[in-house]
Amino acid sequence: MDPESLELLEDALRKTMLSTSGAELDAALAELGWADMLSDMSELAIPLVFRLLGETGSHASVLNDVVLLTAVREAGLTPALPYAGGGWVVWDYADASENSTLGGLPLRRVDEGGHLRLPDARRAVGWWLVGASRAMLALARQHALDRVQFGRPIAGFQAVRHRLAETLVAIEGAEATLSLPGDDNPDLTALLAKAAAGKAALTAAKHCQQVLGGIGFTAEHDLHHHVERVLVLDGLLGSSKELTQKAGAGLRARGSVPRLVDL
Amino acid sequence: MNVAEFRSNLRAWLDENDLTPPPGDHSLDAHHAQHSRVLRALYDAGWMRWGWPESAGGLGGPMILRAIVGEEVVGRGLDEPGPYSMLEVLTPTMIDYASPELAAEMVPRLLSGSETWCQGFSEPGSGSDLASLTTRAEQRGDSWVVNGQKVWTSFAQYATRCVLLTRTGGPDTPNHAAITAFFVDIDTPGVTVRPLRTMHGVDEFCEVYFDDVVVPADRMLGNPGDGWQLAMDLLPYERSTCFWQRIAYLYSRFDALVGEVRQLGQAADSHLGDAYLALHTLRCRSRATQHRLADGQKLGPDTSIDKVLLASAEQQLYDTARDLMPGVIELDDTAWRTEFLYSRAATIYGGTAEVQRNIIARRLLDLGKE
Ligand SMILES: Cc1cc2nc3c(=O)[nH]c(=O)nc-3n(C[C@H](O)[C@H](O)[C@H](O)COP(=O)(O)OP(=O)(O)OC[C@H]3O[C@@H](n4cnc5c(N)ncnc54)[C@H](O)[C@@H]3O)c2cc1C
Repeated sequence: MDPESLELLEDALRKTMLSTSGAELDAALAELGWADMLSDMSELAIPLVFRLLGETGSHASVLNDVVLLTAVREAGLTPALPYAGGGWVVWDYADASENSTLGGLPLRRVDEGGHLRLPDARRAVGWWLVGASRAMLALARQHALDRVQFGRPIAGFQAVRHRLAETLVAIEGAEATLSLPGDDNPDLTALLAKAAAGKAALTAAKHCQQVLGGIGFTAEHDLHHHVERVLVLDGLLGSSKELTQKAGAGLRARGSVPRLVDL
Repeated sequence: MNVAEFRSNLRAWLDENDLTPPPGDHSLDAHHAQHSRVLRALYDAGWMRWGWPESAGGLGGPMILRAIVGEEVVGRGLDEPGPYSMLEVLTPTMIDYASPELAAEMVPRLLSGSETWCQGFSEPGSGSDLASLTTRAEQRGDSWVVNGQKVWTSFAQYATRCVLLTRTGGPDTPNHAAITAFFVDIDTPGVTVRPLRTMHGVDEFCEVYFDDVVVPADRMLGNPGDGWQLAMDLLPYERSTCFWQRIAYLYSRFDALVGEVRQLGQAADSHLGDAYLALHTLRCRSRATQHRLADGQKLGPDTSIDKVLLASAEQQLYDTARDLMPGVIELDDTAWRTEFLYSRAATIYGGTAEVQRNIIARRLLDLGKE
């Protein structure tokens, strides 16, 4: 796809995601050709769509499609997805009133699930986390420039600047892990990328919340949507902590450190 | 030049030509001798010349080839990352700023290991605030006369030349137009090199004094006032090609650590995983940076992110070593101790961790002035 069409697609997706969410967004994405995007250009479509979900704060059940793509199962099913702590969840729009998941994602606990290979899905959630992190950073950056204390914008204070710098470092690092071609070992590459993205998002949440002060703690400011979203997404398909530990166990079993990719 | 083919040819050559350092001697003198030996062999076989322009004695080809050579040489423990990195820091500077004749004459000497050079930037009064440096150069006829002092100058005790920053502008010239660089022979009368002791016992850096040192005008790098730009232009190289070999080194040490602590069982897993995640993140970021450089993009403040990731991953690796091998660093005289101590400097040299964050805040996040 040429850069111009890609930009148009991104604009269309963003606009749609800003105006709808949930089942409605699923329908809108179907209209925009999500199924074809996923089958014909998943390398482009997954980063784009999931990053935008994060940036806009909306949600859709497209993750199911990504899971089923790798598992080569029929589209339209609702697979049980592993969640941190050894549990399972499913996407369930049905009982919105009974949904107890933080931040409005329609996830419901279920008792069991099968074993799925998750490289694409982990990458997808990774991009979602990175998008949400970028949204938090944008909010905190703007607030730092606008908010005046001690007679000047708080962006002038080094403690504030360094928190935001730290956030950018974490996000850029996570994006680099997500962008790595994983041909050598797709599962480990995706596992590390999801771990990096989860960790970056938690870092971003912590620093951005601090920079926003009291306003960032209100339900009126947008920040809390993203903070809650990344807490949930970090646990989805395995938390950063769990995945990191798993990677460590792999190193121990192997006795050496996979480089995963050459220059 | 096919990169994958280049790599496998290089690996085959290194497998056949054993350049492993002689065992037993870990002194800085031994490092230096090994550095010269390895460079000589690699230069003669052509490897050291790829990725450098033909006008300066290179064989041409993309810069990424240099990173690949560095990865193999340092990752295999044939040369230490510190001495090796000086090539990547100083050669691009010579190629961009020295007269073509001077670059053609001098660069091959550095790349072939027949000479070592040093970087005379920092001064007792000017560390992070490099632009405040006070070592003066004054024009006298066809020459310039240098007076002042440099400090933390790595490998000056082995160096034949120094890329030196001096102040040439008067009090009214703004700092960034007042600095001029020279390529100075260390054996010029008036230069005194005094090694300093370091905390890790590898006494790599020195004080260098300049007392009425006469430098010919044709040893000026660029024009009067170009010194600040030269220093800025050098940083992206220092944080790209140069990092790739350092990362290879850290991975090789991580391999060793994993080998040492396997018997610990599950208790080691999160420690190892955290260190791995930090190194992997760094490696992915640096890889993207190498590719951007290879695509002809100009690197700038974005490389401060690479520097922050490198310094934190390096310190985390050695913190992990200390956590998982209790007592080894404190009670036993092994390489882990030296390396642990050296890793403490990773957030200081090449621009401190704080200075990197200042750059990221100002230049990448556009937060305005402090
Ligand atoms: C092992 C090693 C090798 C080196 N090799 C060389 C070499 O070959 N050539 C060379 O020229 N130099 C070399 N250096 C010097 C190195 O570049 C300087 O140490 C570095 O720039 C910091 O300067 P400083 O030590 O004077 O610390 P200072 O600048 O005095 O900093 C002290 C502390 O204050 C903080 N600080 C300073 N300014 C700010 C600010 N604006 N905002 C926030 N915090 C600030 C710093 O981050 C640091 O924590 C080497 C240093 C080491 C440790």
